[in-house]
Amino acid sequence: MMKIQKMKIWITVLLCVMVLIVTTGLGTVSIDPSDILSIFAQKIFGVNLPNSLSANVVSIFWTIRLPRTIAAFIVGSALAVTGTVMQSVLRNPLASSYTLGVSSGASLGVALMVIFGMTIPFLGRFSLPMVGFVFGLGTVLLAISMAMQLDKSLENQTIILIGMVLSLFVSSLLTILIVMSKEHLEQIIFWQMGSFSGIKWSHVFVLLMIVVPGILFLMYFAQELDIMTFGEEQAISVGIDMRRMKIVLITASALLTGTAVAFVGIIGFIDLIAPHVVRKIYGASHRVVVPMSALFGGAFMALADLVSRTIISPSELPIGAVTTLIGAPFFAYVYFNRRGVTKKNA
Amino acid sequence: MKHLSKIVMITMLLFALILTACSAEQMETNSEQINETEEVSRPTLDRAGNPIDVPENIQRVISFAPSITQVIDEIGLMDVLVAVDSQSPNYVEGVENLLQFDMMTPDIEALAQLEPDIMFVSGMSSAKGDNPFQQLIDMGVCVVTIPSSTSIEGVKADNQFIADCLGQHEKGLQINKTMQERIDDIAAIGVTIEEKKTVMFEIAALPTIYSFGQETFLHEMIELIGAKNVFENEAGWISINEEAAISADPDVILTSVNYIEDSVGEILSREGWENMKAIQNQEVYYIDNGKSSLSNHHIVEALEQMAKTVYPSEYAELD
Repeated sequence: MMKIQKMKIWITVLLCVMVLIVTTGLGTVSIDPSDILSIFAQKIFGVNLPNSLSANVVSIFWTIRLPRTIAAFIVGSALAVTGTVMQSVLRNPLASSYTLGVSSGASLGVALMVIFGMTIPFLGRFSLPMVGFVFGLGTVLLAISMAMQLDKSLENQTIILIGMVLSLFVSSLLTILIVMSKEHLEQIIFWQMGSFSGIKWSHVFVLLMIVVPGILFLMYFAQELDIMTFGEEQAISVGIDMRRMKIVLITASALLTGTAVAFVGIIGFIDLIAPHVVRKIYGASHRVVVPMSALFGGAFMALADLVSRTIISPSELPIGAVTTLIGAPFFAYVYFNRRGVTKKNA
Repeated sequence: MKHLSKIVMITMLLFALILTACSAEQMETNSEQINETEEVSRPTLDRAGNPIDVPENIQRVISFAPSITQVIDEIGLMDVLVAVDSQSPNYVEGVENLLQFDMMTPDIEALAQLEPDIMFVSGMSSAKGDNPFQQLIDMGVCVVTIPSSTSIEGVKADNQFIADCLGQHEKGLQINKTMQERIDDIAAIGVTIEEKKTVMFEIAALPTIYSFGQETFLHEMIELIGAKNVFENEAGWISINEEAAISADPDVILTSVNYIEDSVGEILSREGWENMKAIQNQEVYYIDNGKSSLSNHHIVEALEQMAKTVYPSEYAELD
């Protein structure tokens, strides 16, 4: 059993590497693999570029495609991991940070910024992501603190209910705001549809700095997560402070999702399906499920972004539509295929 | 769920755009026939192909699109306007004090109360699929739909159609004549330009760059000034990915984006774009948004601006 599990993990890692090679290798503009190698050699070791290589091709690969693909991978990881954690913490197969209002909060923040044309000094083009992040995280924290006021033991149902009500409330504020200033409608809708277009290295560094430690932090609580999925009584009986644990894990998840949403807008579906697919393949242990969610989510998002930027090139499809379009049949396949196997075995 | 509804909405919008584009093309031939007949009668079909019954005596008019309000202004019939859409005051002077309605969610009761003789609407209002003015039509109001035209000929037909509906056939001919003369002036210089500059025209900025291919009046305008649209192999309004934009490497980048401050500066400072010809030569310019986006006679002003911007010396004589 352990051997098979290890094999699966190695295959997954290998597949992820292959996905990264494919997604950086393909694009609207076809770039020769040897040219890609020379670009790497030049950027990392300072080797001179061949004269035949145009400066625009170098920019397209190094400044546009590479950071974009890496960002897609990181964002996919963040969304998949937080989906897994939220589903386990709230013991609800439909839960995610979005349920608690990260997306609606962030949208409201971004809409306010766009409509009132504000920029924060020193932050420049990071103003929009920063405000989106603060509003997204703020909405989740507000939901949790309201739930705490209402229900001292912080039952899952209370958290989900308050989260959804608050999320709908914030969405209605957003709707009113948009109706009042139509001229910004396009920009806000574009932002909401989600896109990895325009992502540069500076964004990637910020994402890396928050998402990688965030995922490691969540992995650290793998055992607690295992116990929490069995139920609250079980968890309390082994001495886990459920209330505190929930607050810590939800906040950390909201932080990760908030960061992702702030940079690329709202991209759904991965947070929902990744945990289910990963559990089907690797079992229930969070020590494996959390890192595998990161790899699966990352690879999936990188592929979805590849489709979004190449399938109707020179145009782009909204990434949110692509994740759902590819994800739904894939999810159905994994889910029903596995179910068939267990039946046969039984 | 939220996503789903958004996707559904976008798909529907796209469908509506395609539909209006199709029907506008079908209609072009129709209104040309009207122009050719000597005896000028009121049109019996609107620009979307719906049968209409235009009253002889028109005293009360509602315009539900800024492009239409501008044409009515040009005809000189502003005093018959009783209400406009909420965008019109941004483009036309003198309508600020009229009743204003939201284009997407019109208040039918209030509209009915105004008892208009004729009401002009754009394809925009029916983007949701059903005709939001059906109730008004049922009440006997003459509701005339004019979908946004996709060609200069279509724009001219729209102008003439509005004039004809208002019983101002001559005025319509005159507007189009002036428009055509100004286009001909540009075209006369445009055809002499041998080394055509390549142009990319952004109507939405990064991260969701939008531009256009053929079957748009802006594409025709790029060709008229003697330039070449880098996306000439595409059709309609299209989103453009960054890789495609950089590899297209146009000589000139035009933008009509006015929803961000300094859209030209934003393009000039884009990371990864610095080696493009247009950026290196600082050939990035703003083209008036209203004049280049509203489909009526004002597009010639955008055309002239484009000509002088892309080929300053060639069009120096143009006043």
